Amino acid sequence: MHSELAPAPGSTTIDVALKIWRYDAETGEKELKRYEVEAPDWVTLLDVLDIIKDKHDGTLAYRKSCRMMICGSCGMRMDGAAVLACKTRMYDIAKSGHVPVISSMGNMPVIKDLVVDMDPFWGKIRRMKPWLDPGYEEPLEKERIVSQQQMNVIHKEALCIMCGCCVSECNSMESDPDFFGPAALAKGMRFVGDVRDQADVARLNDYNDEHGIWDCTRCYFCNERCPKGVDPRDAIAKLGAESIKEGIDHDMGAKHAQWFVTSAKTTGWLRETELVPKTQGVVEAIKQTRFALSLVKHGKVPPPFPPHVADRVGEARKLYHLVKEQGRDGALGIVQGEHALGRIEFSEQAGVKTTETETT
Amino acid sequence: MVEAKHDVLIVGAGCAGMRAAIEAHDAGADVALLSKIHPVRSHSGAAEGGINAALGNASEDSPAEHAYDTVKGSDYLGDQDAIEILCNEAPGDVYQLEHWGAVFSRTDDGRIAQRPFGAAGAPRTAYAADITGHVLVHVLYEQVMKREIPTYEEFFAWKLVMNDDRCQGVIAWDLLNGGLKSIGAKTVILTTGGAGRLYVGTTNAYACTGDGMALALRVGVPLKDMEMMQFHPTTLSPTGVLITEGTRGEGAYLLNSEGERFLKRYAPNAMELASRDVISRAEQTEIDEGRGINGNVILDLRHLGAEKILERLHGTRELSMTFAGVDPIYEPIPVRPGAHYHMGGVDTDVWGLTEVEGLYAAGECACVSVHGANRLGGNALMETITYGKRVGRHAADWALSNTTVEVPPSVEADAERELKELLDRREGERPWSIRDELAESMHENFGVFRREEQMRKQGEIVTGLRERYESVVVEDKGNVFNNDLTQALELGFLLDLAACMVPCGIERKESRGAHARPYDYPDRDDEHYLKHTLVSWADGEPRVDWKPVTMTNWKPQERTY
Repeated sequence: MHSELAPAPGSTTIDVALKIWRYDAETGEKELKRYEVEAPDWVTLLDVLDIIKDKHDGTLAYRKSCRMMICGSCGMRMDGAAVLACKTRMYDIAKSGHVPVISSMGNMPVIKDLVVDMDPFWGKIRRMKPWLDPGYEEPLEKERIVSQQQMNVIHKEALCIMCGCCVSECNSMESDPDFFGPAALAKGMRFVGDVRDQADVARLNDYNDEHGIWDCTRCYFCNERCPKGVDPRDAIAKLGAESIKEGIDHDMGAKHAQWFVTSAKTTGWLRETELVPKTQGVVEAIKQTRFALSLVKHGKVPPPFPPHVADRVGEARKLYHLVKEQGRDGALGIVQGEHALGRIEFSEQAGVKTTETETT
Repeated sequence: MVEAKHDVLIVGAGCAGMRAAIEAHDAGADVALLSKIHPVRSHSGAAEGGINAALGNASEDSPAEHAYDTVKGSDYLGDQDAIEILCNEAPGDVYQLEHWGAVFSRTDDGRIAQRPFGAAGAPRTAYAADITGHVLVHVLYEQVMKREIPTYEEFFAWKLVMNDDRCQGVIAWDLLNGGLKSIGAKTVILTTGGAGRLYVGTTNAYACTGDGMALALRVGVPLKDMEMMQFHPTTLSPTGVLITEGTRGEGAYLLNSEGERFLKRYAPNAMELASRDVISRAEQTEIDEGRGINGNVILDLRHLGAEKILERLHGTRELSMTFAGVDPIYEPIPVRPGAHYHMGGVDTDVWGLTEVEGLYAAGECACVSVHGANRLGGNALMETITYGKRVGRHAADWALSNTTVEVPPSVEADAERELKELLDRREGERPWSIRDELAESMHENFGVFRREEQMRKQGEIVTGLRERYESVVVEDKGNVFNNDLTQALELGFLLDLAACMVPCGIERKESRGAHARPYDYPDRDDEHYLKHTLVSWADGEPRVDWKPVTMTNWKPQERTY
């Protein structure tokens, strides 16, 4: 019944070693400490931390509660990448002889050891006005009639457990700490995509502000590291698509995206030289004249007249009309990262059985 | 130093606590939440299968039928007035959740979907796939954020402030900054959840250490039906992680080592959808008689097909794959009974009020009693919502009638002294082995089946552990995130509760619901024991009393499924 990855529980023990970045808030001292424990073969990273805290060092601090991937308490980094400690099986890692480095999540101030200050995280969540605006005060007598299909639009966003793993890994937030971040924006999409919410246009305007959806660099680390398959980057893409569909394009990011469409539709290729004025405006474009001249000098700028039109521009236009016809010019047009379930199915997490049926 | 004063202070911020906060806020009270973990981390979020209300969306149904099933499920130990209130108010309360934005699964005609659950006469369990608790915790927290209800996050409630025979606040350890903080309040509501950590095999989170029950006990409030600990039939070994009853609601089979659907010998009509106590006993019997596999039976979902599993039970699949290495689409899941839910708790009336003025309780922490000797799946979430609402409203109304608040400096000084004594202790045993021995021995001696001599032995074990606890040492002496300290305090709570549960179990000389004594008292004895145990702390030890069950419409009958 059990695969090699997950041997029969309790049958054997393994030796597990960890190096943990300790941080003492009262003295400000940091130290990388190594711990070695004997543990049952089924242990997770969280179980190992518990053994260390019980039997070796009672001062080790980390958050935990449900130990079943639903409360979101135990986000931390293993070898520099965010994980839920309770989801991380240690068997393969220990058997390989690797000694992982455990540290606190990124992009959040450390309080002690593996405990971070999540106040800034929650501040950004609150900034999204994260509650349903039904457009009326008094509840109706019964439930609203909503199809399962309509609810499925926000299926992934509703899985979010607010663990902070995506925020920990967010490259945009590393350069701009005010960036709303993947968790907050996924929460935003949870309401924008909810057919029952009446504030979606106001929300989209708001989420288009500085530090908002267009500041995402699309590194996809949030999708990669989310332990629940929420795919926050996809949520951000959906917010972008919905914004443009609603004509909200006051951010350069939106203008930039729109120019890709216009350019492809008119000539079938991306006219990069026009991208800067179309995105940033004429004034900004003039400031970049020297850069433009340098491009010309290096033969990077084709002659503007007559404009080059791709041979098969018709295909690009057809695609454009197809998207419109099918109503896929908003969130529905966003090609999803793998479905949450698919991600679980093919997770490379130690202890998780992978199967051959990836196309089903 | 008193940090602040409120009309209503709610200790614990899961479904019951947040629902109470919303209600009290909307009634005009100055309300605050206080919790040792962030509200969305609460264990309500781990509830999977659903929430029971007679919406009638999947078939004909009525609150009266819901009430009958609940009374019968409780093995007639539930208070029928409390059950009727729950079942009557449940539909409106579920619609309210939907209007707040709860992401329920839907029927083909767009209504809230409902699935069959154990011992229910109709498909009554409204659900959001198999993450119903998660969805409800988040929708309630959204409403808490909307109302800007202040929350003392990561504050560990350690003492209730008694003054003038009223509960007037809480003394808590501030985990992030260190130090004891007093928060005054006209009313205090305990919504701290259960105490599953009394058992080594439990579905409960590390946070489920019965804090509120112990806090109430320590100020003289009796606890009711504490022997009634529900064992859930489908928990993963070895960790005890919950596999939802929704799997059986969707049609999964329970099989023994011979591949037999053994429930046909225990509950021939309801089979896998019999009551939880019935199924847990059946499983334990199969395992004890040698028809288990490595101490488990198996839960088979394969015939449901990939599509249904992926759509409605994706969380179950995720848990099985991560913690048992088993994909239920292709392989059956090894499961066994595990401690899951405490039917017992703080004795309250139907508004959640305890014997002490100003002190309330709701949710798993309380015993109203809705669940009696055995809770039906899907009724716990419903209780948190309906009784959370009721307790919030009553506490707010009472607090708004001009009551004053005072935290006497002597109370604070006593707490400071007691804490200093604990932190100054440098020689002695750390808490973890006491904690582990408690959880292992409770499982062994006060589990699915109970024998007189084992219960007596457990009483002695608990007494011994309590003596060792007197000289326990906290290794971390720091102020910042010192959960070495709070975990030691939690163990003190658990030991008090264990000391209360065991004598209640010994005194109840019958088999009823979760309390099964097949070797000496195999039958239910309505003549002598159709009554609640009531345990309080007197002269340094637990004292067991009795309290009648409130009956309205339903006379006890033989209970078969």
